[in-house]
Amino acid sequence: MSSPESVHDAVLVSSASGPALGSLGVVSLVNIVHPAPSSGSVSACISLPHPSMNADFAAAVQILIHAGAVNVPIPFAAMPVSQPQYPHPAKPWTVGDGITSALRTSAFPPLINMILYTSWYRIFPIVLRNAGSSPTHSVQRIGSYSSTESLPPFEPPSIVLLVALVGAITVARREQVIGQETEPALRIDD
Amino acid sequence: MTAVNYLTFSTILFLLAIGGVLLNSQNLFILLMSIELMLLAVNMNFLVFSVLLDDMMGQLLALFILAVAAADSAMGLAILVTTYRTRGTMAVEYATGMKG
Repeated sequence: MSSPESVHDAVLVSSASGPALGSLGVVSLVNIVHPAPSSGSVSACISLPHPSMNADFAAAVQILIHAGAVNVPIPFAAMPVSQPQYPHPAKPWTVGDGITSALRTSAFPPLINMILYTSWYRIFPIVLRNAGSSPTHSVQRIGSYSSTESLPPFEPPSIVLLVALVGAITVARREQVIGQETEPALRIDD
Repeated sequence: MTAVNYLTFSTILFLLAIGGVLLNSQNLFILLMSIELMLLAVNMNFLVFSVLLDDMMGQLLALFILAVAAADSAMGLAILVTTYRTRGTMAVEYATGMKG
């Protein structure tokens, strides 16, 4: 292994250990305020190896979307619900939890075995679409695909995203609207 | 890192997220973030196979999943806040509103 390759591997391994540790924090931390930055570190670190896979546009979009649409609303949602709600110690380990943990642990070795002993390059023949033409940047290719072939599948998600954001605001403000509507009735009853 | 390492890493991430979903019964918040972790692991797989097959459709699907994950997170957080306001707790075992 040459020196630049080893440095490259070291950087990639360190950027892969960030999401693993962050996901452990998301799963294991009990206080709901603490998993929020762990989730942010996961989404930030998991996009670090993407440029090495010629997916720099996906890395940028992942950081932007996860920072703006996922990780920023999480603390704002955590703040109103972050009252102490675990006065009692954690529930004891039940039989169902043990079975679930055993199944999850037993699923890991065959999956790793399948990944290691499958010849991925033999199953999927690599077809270079632009073998004869000049190589273009991945951003240009993504733009070309998303504006020509994949335009219909990409329009509904944009509408779904808009409707979901408006619906989220409506759902989150519903109680306040109901409270404003019921307030005059309470005054009449008084 | 080769494709095998990336796939192993995404498998570990996905199994951790499955553990967060299945073993967590006290907090809807962690449940939602575990689902986000699952989507991130699936995204990693799409990108790896996009490189492996030299097909840009994998990156397009990754962007598609990111948009859906953002909508999912927004709606999930809104439902979570509303659930906490109405029930006063975020325990999964009390979320039985749709139980028959």
